[in-house]
Amino acid sequence: MYNTVYDVHHMTHSQSNPDLFQNLCLELRRGSLILAVLACLRSEQYGYTLRKALADRGLDIEEGTLYPLLRRLETQGLLLSEWREAEKRNKRFYRLSPLGQEMLEKLLAEWKAIDASLAEIVKG
Amino acid sequence: MQPLDRYLSNLAKLLPADQREDILRELSEDIRSEIEDKESELGRPLTEAEQLEVIRRRGNPLQVAAAYTPNQGTLAFGPQLIGPVLFPFYVRVLTFNLGLTFLIVGVIFAALSLAGQPIHFRDLFSSVILQLFLQLAAVTFIFALVEKHLSRQPHDWSKMDFQTSFQAAIKSQIERKIQSGPKEISRFDSIAVLVASSVALLWLQSLWANQYLLFGPAAALISLAPIWHVVYLPAVFIMLVTIVRAAINIARPDWIRFRDVVSVLLDAASLAIVYTLMFAHTWVVPAVSASEHIASAVNHWAPIAIFASAIIALAQTIHDLIRLYKNWRWHSAPPAPSR
Repeated sequence: MYNTVYDVHHMTHSQSNPDLFQNLCLELRRGSLILAVLACLRSEQYGYTLRKALADRGLDIEEGTLYPLLRRLETQGLLLSEWREAEKRNKRFYRLSPLGQEMLEKLLAEWKAIDASLAEIVKG
Repeated sequence: MQPLDRYLSNLAKLLPADQREDILRELSEDIRSEIEDKESELGRPLTEAEQLEVIRRRGNPLQVAAAYTPNQGTLAFGPQLIGPVLFPFYVRVLTFNLGLTFLIVGVIFAALSLAGQPIHFRDLFSSVILQLFLQLAAVTFIFALVEKHLSRQPHDWSKMDFQTSFQAAIKSQIERKIQSGPKEISRFDSIAVLVASSVALLWLQSLWANQYLLFGPAAALISLAPIWHVVYLPAVFIMLVTIVRAAINIARPDWIRFRDVVSVLLDAASLAIVYTLMFAHTWVVPAVSASEHIASAVNHWAPIAIFASAIIALAQTIHDLIRLYKNWRWHSAPPAPSR
């Protein structure tokens, strides 16, 4: 019954105020995306395959978000990139830097802690 | 030009210069990969419409470029009115509009002052504040509407479509002009220019001999400064060339390009004369020692008149350049199909 009431409440609000719902979703996803991108780049990939890999696992990310994010993470020293030929075309390959590896481990630990706390809070 | 090239070329203009090439290479590669992926899925090449759909899904170039540009500000009164995508354009448009408006207000007040009307600071101040308020309200309102549209339908706005329809509109206008527009310069116009320039030349020559024509009774107190000796001959030359040009166009009204090119060259020469005058500092000198204060007052206000002349000369140059460009396009365009 709680679920039904929650769903109806949730649907009513998200339908009546789609902008608010979108904004909250964006905020919720923002931090998770960085984690997902860093985790995916433990193995080297170029932008398009990275985007597909994320989408295949249910995390759609727009190009307009992904590429600026990759640039920012590279500037912060978390990623390394190089232009290389693959499939007869030049592509920019990204991979995690040693600092990125270290940060990823810390962020994953933090995320697991948040997840556990949230599960406790939601359970009531 | 292919749809992808058009899109990248639109985007390139909006990207930060130091990263432009790198970003374009990467985005181009991403779009090509997606197109190839879809082609291998369908087992056939994508049509142009399908390619356009892939590109359109990426969002308009303004928004894509904004993601790569450091946040340059937003405007919000409670809810956000103008977001970071449009904000730099908003500032540019507002600056241009306000600059132009204040210039016009300045020229009007200067003209009133030169005409002997008393000018109070409060009049000037209230005019400036009123214009500031009106421009700010109008430009903000328009940009807020665009922002609302963009945020509701981020993929619905395409600069390419806008450009295509804009170019189509210009093309149809050009074609219409080719079909119905003047193929010759009106002889009446050429005669009017010839007469007006001849009168102006005669007046200039008389003025040189008798400065009463310019200063009236004040000619006994002030006279033209040496800078006018520097610009006198070039001014006479410009008028002579204008007369010759008009005479030639009376005989050959079909020499449109000749008229356009000579006009632009003469405009450039006129601008050079105004430029020389602008930095002269002294335009009149006292004819007698007792009239120094009169010469000083005239020299104080003369820059406003010269500045107004510069604006008029510049506007004329822009007008003639646009005419030259348009006529060049009409003549270069293939003939319209006969009906």
